[in-house]
Parts: sequence; C-alpha cells; structure tokens
Amino acid sequence: MDIAWSNIFSRKSCDRNSVKDVLKKVPIFRDLSDRELRKVERLIYHRSFADGETIFRAGEPGLGMYIVESGQVQIYLLAHDEPLAILTDGEFFGELSLLDESPRSASAAAQGETHLLCFFHPELMDLLNVDPRLGVKILIGLSRTIGERLKKATEYIEVMKSGNPTSKVDACADKDR
Amino acid sequence: MPVRTKTAESPIWVKWLGVAILLAAAVAVLYSLSGLVKILIISALLAYIIDPLATFLESRGLKRSGATAIVFLMIVGIMALSFLVLAPMLVNQIISIQQSLKSGHADTMVKQIEQMAAPHFSSFGVKEVNIADRLEAYAASTAEWFFDHILDMVSLLTNIIIIPFIVFFLLKDGRQIKKQFVSLMPNRYFELSLNLLHKMDIQLGNYLRGQFLDAAVVGILSTLALWALNVKYAFLFGAFAGVANLIPYLGPVLGATLAILVTVIDTGQISTAASILIAFIVVKLIDDAIIQPMIVARSVDMHPLVVLLAVIIGGKFFGILGMLLSVPATGFLKVSLQEGIASYRRYR
Repeated sequence: MDIAWSNIFSRKSCDRNSVKDVLKKVPIFRDLSDRELRKVERLIYHRSFADGETIFRAGEPGLGMYIVESGQVQIYLLAHDEPLAILTDGEFFGELSLLDESPRSASAAAQGETHLLCFFHPELMDLLNVDPRLGVKILIGLSRTIGERLKKATEYIEVMKSGNPTSKVDACADKDR
Repeated sequence: MPVRTKTAESPIWVKWLGVAILLAAAVAVLYSLSGLVKILIISALLAYIIDPLATFLESRGLKRSGATAIVFLMIVGIMALSFLVLAPMLVNQIISIQQSLKSGHADTMVKQIEQMAAPHFSSFGVKEVNIADRLEAYAASTAEWFFDHILDMVSLLTNIIIIPFIVFFLLKDGRQIKKQFVSLMPNRYFELSLNLLHKMDIQLGNYLRGQFLDAAVVGILSTLALWALNVKYAFLFGAFAGVANLIPYLGPVLGATLAILVTVIDTGQISTAASILIAFIVVKLIDDAIIQPMIVARSVDMHPLVVLLAVIIGGKFFGILGMLLSVPATGFLKVSLQEGIASYRRYR
C-alpha cells in the first residue's frame, strides 16, 4: 500500500489504545472519561518529524498544542543556541495557542525521529459547538495548566528578586520535579 | 550544540511556475467536467447551508450520522412538500401568464408601449422595439431551458439521486474529509493549510447561509407585499425576486422589472405597476437597512463590476443556473484568495 494511503487507512487498534494512554497523561485531558478521550482522539492529528526538522518557528501564528508521542523535541529561541528545553514522551507544548493565534514565543524542532499528536484551535472550537460539555472540561483543564504555570513563573520571579537566585531557582526547580 | 536541518528552498520562480501549471491544469479539468462541477458546487452549497442544523442536533447529544439523517429527512420532506404544493402553483401561474400574454388585450398594451418607447430608442439607433417578439423569443428560450435542464427526466432523476447523496456524505463525513485532506500536507504547510481551511470554512459558511437566508426573507417579504397589493401573480413574482436576490445589484432590478412588465402587459394598470415599484423599493430598503446588516457577512462584499463579470461568465458557461451560482462561487474564490494571502504572509 502507498505510504500516504496506508497512513490514512491502516492505523492499528493497538495505536488507538496507546494514543488514549498518552492523552490521559496530559493534565489538560486528565478529567476526561474514556468515552470523552475517544472523542478527542478523533480530533487529534498524527504527525511524524525527521531528525532536526522544524515543527514551528518563533513568530509564526500558533494554532494549537503538540504532545510528544515518541521521540524528543527541542524548544529554542535562536537556531544555534542551546535548547531552552528538551521534551520527551507524554510531554506537551504550545497549549497557549489553543486560545488564540498569538505568535509562537519560541521555535520547536524534532531531535531524532519524532511522532507528535496535535490538537488544534479549530478542532477545539468545533468541539465547543458539537459537545459543549466536553469542550468546557478541556477549557477548564487548559486554564488549570496555564494557572499552574503562572504560579510557578511567579515563584521563580520572587526567588530571583530576593537575591542569591542561582541556588534558590535550583531549589524551586527541584521542588517542581 | 544541537543540529537543526533546514529544508532546501526552491527558487521563487519555480514555485510560481508550479502554482501556475497546477492552476491551469485545475481549470482545464474543471472545464472538461463542468457537469460534475455544477453538481458538486450545488451539493457543497446545500451542505454549507444545512450544516448548522446537523451541528445543533449533535450538540443535543445525537451522533453525527443520526443528526445528519434527521436533518436530511427533514430537508427531503420539505422539498417533497414544496414540489407537491408550490410547484403546481408556480406552473399554474406561468401558464396563466402565457395565456394572458397571448390575449388581444396584451397585444394592444404591448403595441401602445412600443409606440411610447420607440421615439426614445430611436436616438440610440434602434428603429424597431418589437417588445412582443423579444418577449416571445425570450419566453421560448426560457421554456426550452426549463424543459432541457429542469424537466429533463434523465438529468432530473440523476440530480435528485446524486445531489442528496453527495450532500448527505459531505454533511456526515465533512470533518473527516477535511482532516484527511490536511493530513496529506507536508509538515511545513500543515498548520498553514489547517488554519486557512478553518478560516475559509467560517467565512464561507457565514456568507452562504447569509445569502440564502437573505434571499428567503426577501422572497417572503416581496410575496407578502405583492399579495397585500392584490397583484395577480404575487407568489411567482415573490419567488423570482427571492431567487434573483442571490445576484447582488442586478437581482432586485430583475425581480421588480419582471413583476412590473408582466402586470402592465396583463392588466394595463399603470397605478398597480407604480405600487409594485414602491413595494419593491420598500422591500429593498428593509433588506439593506435591517436584513443584510444582520445576516450577510460584510467581509465578502464584492465590487459591482466583479459581480457583473461573474454573472456574465457564469451565464456563458452554465446558463441561468450559472448566473445564480456565479456570485457564491466568486465569493468562495474571494474568501479563498483573501485568507490564502493573509495566511501566507503570517507564516512566511
């Protein structure tokens, strides 16, 4: 079978279970039942990236979030800089773009062959029309995730302000882990 | 140090040449399959108009297939009812007009109008106005088109079966079709194409549903106004005004002209013609001031010249149906281009 067609039609059932498992680990979808997760799964896009391939560039309009199904993703500001973060299986990025089209604040590239699950703003909007209950559950999960990140960012800023930043930031990071 | 590869960029002229070849090939294929394209356009327009109903039922807990089936049955029911109730009414009114135009009274009226109009047209180099001949020729060609396209049993049956079939699957599987289409895009253009399709979907949906609702409201208002004025063929003229309203600028003029011309020829009452003109002006004012701002997407405003050209080209290739479909089709092209260019600039 041709690669394009096999990509569309021959997704195996074992893949479906693993996608659901990956989604379950994402805090945004934590409160969803199995039935609801299956609904979300139908909206998810599967994309594969080669080693070093750009996923998105800083400044481009953001369209949604990516979840690492397998492989690794580097988040970086400039092409030759050290990465800001390296994300692995089950981790996610770009979730703020689910809310609006503001430009991406950093770039992302695959490290090694990487498979991503993508959940985008248009699908979330569709879901809010078709199944408002599920849509709101996801929005609450998203708000909680953003809230937690904001809290952590505030903590870091306070630590930085209070002097001796290096050791305290490390301590904060340790606490988060 | 991380290594991030960049995809090799082709020279800009290669890209544009590729786009031009693709466009030319697409136009050639579409032209050679014009019959199929017409069916697809009608089906897509219908699917766009009906879609919110299916989505509403889905939001009440029904599955997409169930919601689509219910909406579909409703629409088929309404269409069957219209065919049984409204079609005979329209046919009766058309036959009645034909008979009345053949009567001696109409002949006298037409001659009087010709005599009145002839001196005014002579300055344009027109020696004979011949309204009767022209009307007869136009009526004959319209009837021929009507029997060729609408009442031709083979094409009627094919369309009755194929169009609902396509509409049903577009409604039921539209999202999956869109998803699979976007999935085929290379990673570099994936977000761009998804975003573009999403924006086009919203804009087009609003535009087409707005146009359809607007035409329906104008049709109903015109029918009511003409009925209140006791105009003989109120339903026929109202329905025509509604359908003609799909063509901006020209539509309302066409609707009013037909009603006034037939009434004057049929009854000879200039006062009724004046009341009809006032009724159409009032409906147009209500349409411009209240209905259009409420329901028609302003972003798809088109220049009058573009509308005129679209109608002429549509008429040339697809006849009367082409004239009606040309405006929504041009709206589709305009939205696609607008969003395409905007998205390309944002992602560049």
